[in-house]
Parts: sequence; C-alpha cells; structure tokens
Amino acid sequence: MKTQVVPAPIPDPGASGPAAFEALSAAERLARPGLRGLLALQAVRTVLRLGFAATAAMAAGRLVMGETVEPRLVAGMIALLAAACLAGFAAESMQASAENVVATRLRALAGERLGKMPARQLQSLSTGALIVSMQRHPESIAALVVGHRAATAMMAAGPLLAAIALCFVSWQAALLVICLTPVMILFFALVGNAIRRRADAQERAFGRLAGQFADRVRTLPTILANHATASEEAKLGRRLEGYAGETIGLLRIAFANAGIIDFFASLSIAILAILLGLGHLKLATIPGFSNLELWQSLFILMIAPEYFAPFRRFSEQYHAKAEGLAAAAALNRLLGAEPIASTTLPVLDRLRLTLPAHGLVAIVGPSGSGKSTLLRRLAGLEPGAMPTPGTRPLAAEEIAWVSTDAYVPEGTLAEAMSWNGGALDRSRLENAARAIGLLDDALLPGGLDARLDKGGANLSGGQRLRIAVARAQLSGRTVLADEPTAKLDRATAEAVRRMLIGISGARLVVVATHDRDLAAAADLVVDLTRDDTVEVAA
Amino acid sequence: MSTAFQSSSRKSWRLATGFAFTALACAILLGGVSAWLLGSVAIAGLSAAAFTFNFHTPAAFIRLFAVGRTAARYGERLTGHKAALADQVSRRVELFAAMAAAPAVRRAGWQLGNDSRLADYLDDVEDLDFARLRAGLPALTLACGLAVLIAGSAVLAPLSLLPIIVLLLAILFAGNRVARAGAMAWRETRSLRRGGASRLGAAMASAVPLKAEGAWNRECTEALAALSRAGAAQLALRRLQAMLDMIGGALGPVAGVSVMAAAWYAGRQGTELLAPMLLAFSWLALGETMNGASRMLVAVLRRNAARAEIGQWTRGTAAGRREFALDDIKPALLLHGGLQRRAPDGRSIGTPISLLLARGQPTLLVGASGSGKTSLLKQIAGWIGDDAFATDDRILSAGERRALVSLVLHDAVVLEDTVRANLFAGDAPDAVLWRALEAVEMDGRIREAGGLDSWVRQDRFSLGEAQRINLARAWLSSPPVALLDEPTEHLDEAQGERILERLLVRFSDRIVVVSTHRAPPLRDVRTIELQP
Repeated sequence: MKTQVVPAPIPDPGASGPAAFEALSAAERLARPGLRGLLALQAVRTVLRLGFAATAAMAAGRLVMGETVEPRLVAGMIALLAAACLAGFAAESMQASAENVVATRLRALAGERLGKMPARQLQSLSTGALIVSMQRHPESIAALVVGHRAATAMMAAGPLLAAIALCFVSWQAALLVICLTPVMILFFALVGNAIRRRADAQERAFGRLAGQFADRVRTLPTILANHATASEEAKLGRRLEGYAGETIGLLRIAFANAGIIDFFASLSIAILAILLGLGHLKLATIPGFSNLELWQSLFILMIAPEYFAPFRRFSEQYHAKAEGLAAAAALNRLLGAEPIASTTLPVLDRLRLTLPAHGLVAIVGPSGSGKSTLLRRLAGLEPGAMPTPGTRPLAAEEIAWVSTDAYVPEGTLAEAMSWNGGALDRSRLENAARAIGLLDDALLPGGLDARLDKGGANLSGGQRLRIAVARAQLSGRTVLADEPTAKLDRATAEAVRRMLIGISGARLVVVATHDRDLAAAADLVVDLTRDDTVEVAA
Repeated sequence: MSTAFQSSSRKSWRLATGFAFTALACAILLGGVSAWLLGSVAIAGLSAAAFTFNFHTPAAFIRLFAVGRTAARYGERLTGHKAALADQVSRRVELFAAMAAAPAVRRAGWQLGNDSRLADYLDDVEDLDFARLRAGLPALTLACGLAVLIAGSAVLAPLSLLPIIVLLLAILFAGNRVARAGAMAWRETRSLRRGGASRLGAAMASAVPLKAEGAWNRECTEALAALSRAGAAQLALRRLQAMLDMIGGALGPVAGVSVMAAAWYAGRQGTELLAPMLLAFSWLALGETMNGASRMLVAVLRRNAARAEIGQWTRGTAAGRREFALDDIKPALLLHGGLQRRAPDGRSIGTPISLLLARGQPTLLVGASGSGKTSLLKQIAGWIGDDAFATDDRILSAGERRALVSLVLHDAVVLEDTVRANLFAGDAPDAVLWRALEAVEMDGRIREAGGLDSWVRQDRFSLGEAQRINLARAWLSSPPVALLDEPTEHLDEAQGERILERLLVRFSDRIVVVSTHRAPPLRDVRTIELQP
C-alpha cells in the first residue's frame, strides 16, 4: 500500500468537537463596515429632507405673506430636494448591497463549516432542511443585522435630528413632540405584550393548522393513492378557515402597533396646527407658539411627521427581526449539531491486516458488522484505528469510491465518466462504457452523449454505480467499493465483477460486499462475522 | 368552500377599499387643511379680522382628519387582510383540488415532497394570495388620489401641470423599464436559486463518495455560490426598485413646489394663494404614499412569475374532471395482451409484455433497481399512460382503473394529522383500526405515541415505521385491486415476510400485484421477472 509512510498520529475527524456555530454574531461582524456607511447615508438623507422642509416652508410662508422670496432660497430648496432623493437612492442601494455581502459571506462560512463536517454527520442532516437553510437563512439574517439594525439606530437618530430642527424655530414645539414619545412607547410596550401573549396562545392552539396546506401538497400522491382527495379537500377548507379566523384575531392586535404611530403622528399635527393657529390669531399667548412667522409654523407642521417616521419604519421591520432570529437559530442548530458518535465496533479495532499494493480485497459479513465502516476508515471518513498499525488513511486524491450513491454531474455520460479525473480521450471512455454495459442500455439512449439530469435524477442506482465503476477504471486510483453488485440484475452484476477484477490486476480494489461470487474471486477475504472473530484467508 | 365565506370576502374587499380611500383622503386633507388654516390665520392675525375668524370649524375638521386617518388606516389594514385571507382559503382549496387532478402528481418522484421545492412553491402561492392587497388596492387608491390632485392643479394652477405631467411620464417610463428588467432579474433569481438548490441536493445525496474522493468542498462551494449569485440577481432588482422610489419620492415635493410657483406666476397674492397652498400640502401628503410604488410593482411581477409557475403544476388537468364511481365492479381478472411498458417520462421500455392478473393468485414483479417495476405498477393502476385493460366483461380505461385500484406507493408519507386520519379509513370503528395496526406490528408504537387520536408527523417515525403505517392503510383499503410497490422495503426480512403474508391472506379475494427486488418465499404466486 502506497501510504505506508512514517507513523504519524492518526487524524481523527470526529474527535475534536467543533465550537458552536454563531450565525448572528458572525453576521454582525460581517455587517459592521457596511452598517456604518448606511447609517451615515440615512442620517444625511434625514438632514437633507429637513433642509428641504425648512426652505419649502420659508418660500411658501413668505409667498403667502407677500414678502419677497429670494431666488437663492428657491434654488437651495430644489438642490436640497434633489440631494435628498439621491441620498435616499444611495441609502437604499447601500442597504441592499450590504445585506447581499453579509448573506454571501455568511453562506460561505456555512459552506466551510459543511466542508469540515464528517461524512456521517453530513448524512444525518435532512437534505431538504439544509437546502432551505442555505438558500434563505443567510438572507434573513442579513436583513436583521443590516436593515433592522439600521432602522433601530435611526429610531434614535431620526427623531433627534427632527427635534433639533424644531428647536431652531421653537424649542417648546420640540418639547411637545418629545413629550408625546414616552406615552407612545408605553402604548408600544402594552401592545407588544398583548401580541406576544396572543401569539403564544395561538401557537399552542393553532400551531398545528399553520402548515396544513403545505403538508397536504407535500403528501398529495399519498392522499391520491388512498382515494382521500375529496375528504382531504373538505378538511383542508375547514382548517384553513379556522386558521384564517385565528390569524385575523392576532392581526387585530398586531396592527394596533402601526395604529399607535399613526395616531401620534396625526395627533401631533392636529395639536400643533391648532396651537400655532391660535398663536397667529393672537387669541391666546402660548410661549413658543405665538409671534411666529407663517413660515416658522409651516416648518413645524412639516417636521412633526418626520419625527415619527423612523418609528414607523422600525415597526415595519417587525417581521425582519422575528424571521432573522428564527433563521439564525435554525442555522446554528443545523451547523452546530453535536457530532454523531460512531458506533463502536470492537471487531474493527482488533482487526489486523496488511493491505497488498494490488489485488482484490473483499470485506464480508452480515449487515451491521462494520463492512462500510471499515471502508470509510480506510478513506479517512471515520475516526478509529486503521487495520494496519501505523498507517494513515488513503488521501482523497488516491481514492475512487464506488457505490450506488456515486456523484453524477449534470451533462453527458462522457462528462460524468471523466468527472474528477481530468480530460480523457473518447476511445478510452467508449471502451470503459461498453465494457460496463452503459452504451447498450435501453434506459440511457444516446451512448456517450446521453443526457444526464441534474444530480443524475434520471439514473437508477445501478446506472450510477456503473458510471462510478467506469470512472474508477479510468482514474488509476485505489478503488473502494461499497456493495458494488447489490440491487443489480445478473448480467450487469457480472460486468461489474469483471471490471473490478480487471482493475485489481494493477491496483488495490477493496470491496464491502454480500456477493459470494465477488468474494470468491478475491485475493484476500476479510470476514467480519458476528461472533467477533476475524478470519483473513488468502 | 362555503358561499358565506366567499361573500364575506367580497364584503371585506369593498370595506377595505372604502377604508383605503378614506385613509388617503384624510391624510391628504390633514396636511392641506392644516397648512391652509395656518396661512389663513396668519393673514387674519394681521388685521381686526382675527376677532371674527371662525377658528373652531377648521380646527374641528383637522382633529376629525387626524382621528379619521388613524382609524381608517387601521380599518384598511385589518379588512384588507381579512379579505386576502378569505381569498386565500378558497384559492388554496381550489389549488389543492386542481393539483390533485393534475397528471404531474401521479408520475415518478413527487417534487413537492422535497422541502426546498415546497418552500419555493409556498412562496409562489403566497405571492398570489397577497398580490391584490400589496399591489391592487394601493395602486387603485393612489391612482384616484393622483387624478383628484391633478384635476385640482388644472383648476388652481394650470401651468404646474407641465412639470407634474413630465415627472409622471418619467415615473411611468421608469416603472415600465423597472417592470421589464425586474421581471428578468426575478426570473434569473429563481432559476439560479433552483439550480443551486438542486446542486446542493445532489452533493448531499452523494456526501460519502464526494468526501472520500475529496470533491465535496468544490461541489458544495459551487452550489452555495449559485445561491449567492441568486442573491446578486435579487440585488439588481432592489437597485432598480430604489431608482424607481427615488423618482417616485420626488413627485409630491415637485408637484407641491410647482403648484405654488405656478400660482404665484399667475399673479395670485395673499389670500388667493391659500387654496394653492392647500393643494401643495396635499401633494406633499400624497407623495408619502408614492414611496411604496416600487413595492407594488414587485408584488405584481412576483405574482406573474408565481402564476406561471403554479400553472405548470396544474397543467394537463382535464377541464371536466370526472371521478369514476365503480363501486359495483369487482373484476376477477385484469388482462392486457401486449402492454408497452413506459418510463414515467413516456419513453417506452423493452418489448410489449402480456399481463394476466387474476383474483386469488398474487403476482410478483421481480427485477433489479431501475428495471421499471414502479412504472409498471403505475401503468396498471392507471396513473401513467392511457392503456385500456380488459376484465371479464368490459374494458377498463386508465381513469376507471384509478378508482378500482389501491396503490401502495413505496415512497408514501405520513400526513401531519392524527393517526386515525392517517389511516384513511373514514369512520371505521376503533377495533378495526387497531386490528390493522396489529397486522403491521405498529400497535405498540402507536399506543406509545398516544393512541389513534394523537397528532403525528413524518419526522416522528423511522422509515420502517412509516412504511408499516402505509401497509396498515393498505390493510384497511377496500378497492378490488391492490398493487403493492416494495412493501417490505425498510423492514427487516422476517418482519417484512410476516406482514406481507398477513396482507396476502386478507387480500385473497382481490387482484394483487407485489413488486420487490428480492423474491420472498411465497407460495402460490406467479412471478414476472422484469429486465430493464
């Protein structure tokens, strides 16, 4: 065996438990540079909008009062408007690209994590859940750490800037809107609590109904096979109605949140307009609201809604927060799962054998006796002792793995056969494909140019396995084959056996198999029988 | 679907539209009238008119508008969602029925059984459900608000129409461009996302070989990169949106400024400028609602994409779908002289075979993986192809056979529901259900889980347990033909044989076909060996 080098500590992919995956803090780190620029732009936009409001109020007020309006003022107003719009555009684009950067990097981090995960653990993950997670969760988390965080920060900065602008005209008006804020926040807290209580109650009572439509679509063929379409349709209607009714109940409270902001924004306009009006009529003398110019009143009127706008934007982000937190939790769960302890197989730890440089080695034994585990140990996919003391697992570049779950890329049969091996000339491909019966397969018409779907979706396990065997023959690597002849018809199984035996003339071929014929042709048989004795017969 | 619910949806939409108009009108008037009031009192305050000025009526109106805006917005949100949810219920039930009737369900490998495809599908359904609420209703009110204010501008300051119309045209032009480019970006996003998902799925399915050969990192990274490219395509869409919002956001202020400028240019002064000022502040208030314009556009283009996608699932559904009720037919045999076997995609497999399936003598289909056992069972069941089979006295079409056959799928799943509902036995008495669970050796497990009325999900069961629940359904089924696809898969050999034997005894008066890749030792069976 080529790898009998200096004895070295055996690498143990599952031994050192990986640190928990912290999606949220990683995303926050990634978001930091973008967030700073985004906040600056949003603040600039707010200042420019306030500037436009000030100049517009000044121009309108002076015009109505018959005073002269300087062209400089008008020009400034238009410039401020244009700049505010541009700053708005810049802020929006920056937020979008910052979120994209965070999502992409976070996904790459998750990919690295998957790369380090041992095969056994990877197999234990639900493929569907993993795909959904990789597709959506980084984006949801990015929206939380960029969009939602920016909205949170602006909830402090926006009203502050608006209040400062008000102070230029009337500090009393600023005080009035500031005084309304704690009242509003009190209402917020009350409503927020009510929503949470109600949502919890709903979750308990109706959580089961939430996914019913999705579940019935998922299970549609089963429903059809059991002639239950009509009854399930009726039941689905009832359950969706029940769920819709409950949802409305929850929304009734949830919308109160936005209603409160609307109420205070409207209320502030109404109060200010009336106080300012009284001041202008000189019917009452209210400090800060009397003896103002018209433009000053108009300015106050225009700024007041700006004061409340950031609260509104924040409340619209409510979903982003809930979704982002859920996504981060899901991603942490998925990537931070404890490594799965491999089953202890004392028979493998006692096993001593020296693998030849070439020849066919068959590992036999009943299901569960450790045949596949031994193969994986040889490939370095499983922790545990190597059968030859002092050796290391094979390097990935030396292995051709043969099994029914072999990887098949999208493309032609020729591309699938030369995958991971480099360019090969067509005649060699053709010979290998013919020898293994891939060229005259009625279910795979088109010879070497036969079209293979993504992930080999149009291939049977047997076809995949034959592609892997042909690939192994062409690759010149050591072959590790897991049950290469199971589930094959007689003729195909015979072709696979022939090719594996052919390869073993020049290279090492290790097979884990139930197939007596294959074992009979082996140069070395490793029998992992249940009574913990290991027979190695030449 | 109850008609009461549908009429309540129509009522809710009417109500929501009413609220939406009220909310917009109050918002516009709140801004406009407040400004007008301040202007009036400022002018009145200069003279003795201050003492005769009727302050309280406009002040009362302002308070009314403030409260009205808040209340109407709340009403709009609530009734709008109520209407959309009512629509959602009826649309989803219809969609379920349409999909159940679509041929795609009966073919091989139900794609929506896959989590990520299902999640995409649900997004599409939701895009359809809420398009009216997110785009239709706000677009309607916005258009009406625009029309009113444009008419007002034409009366009070005709010259201001020039910049307003120019800007509106620019918005329409940009909107059109964004709609087209956005639809393309969205299409690209979807296809990249799906490509990345299937690539990641393929890598996951081959995790062990890929890790062994050191190719996992490359494949996984490329799949994730495709997902991130989808994110980049979506970023393009968001940039377009931001551009549209930039132009849209300028409309209110520009129109307001134009109205004031045009009125001044027309020579209006003092109190004559109050009405234009009301209009100008109304434009400012309307401009706030323009901010959501790009979201409406995106809702529309997502709806269009969703409609096209969902249409694909229900394509091929016969318009006048007929369910055959063939309760009285109990064929003693099913016969086909030269059945051309077909793969799920319609390709023919091998040479035609002759089939004689007789009651009381089970038929065993044996063949290696990929030899087309499942496809043949589905062909017999009438799920794929449109072959006609003969019985003793009549010809049975594919559609008629579907009603006569209980097909036990090898990839059947557990519904998220009670155990009872999962057995599909209608209102069969408990004792019968327990007898079925005993026959498939699941009674202990179900008792542990809490009995027949406990709520279960797929992930609570191992593959073998799910398979045994599926066999319990077969046990309880009544159709005269039973087709069992790999009934012993995921079961240990002895248990599989025990259960299969019990099922065959129970089905002794039915036509039975069992497919398997390992031939169990059964007496009295005819065996058909399939070659690929």
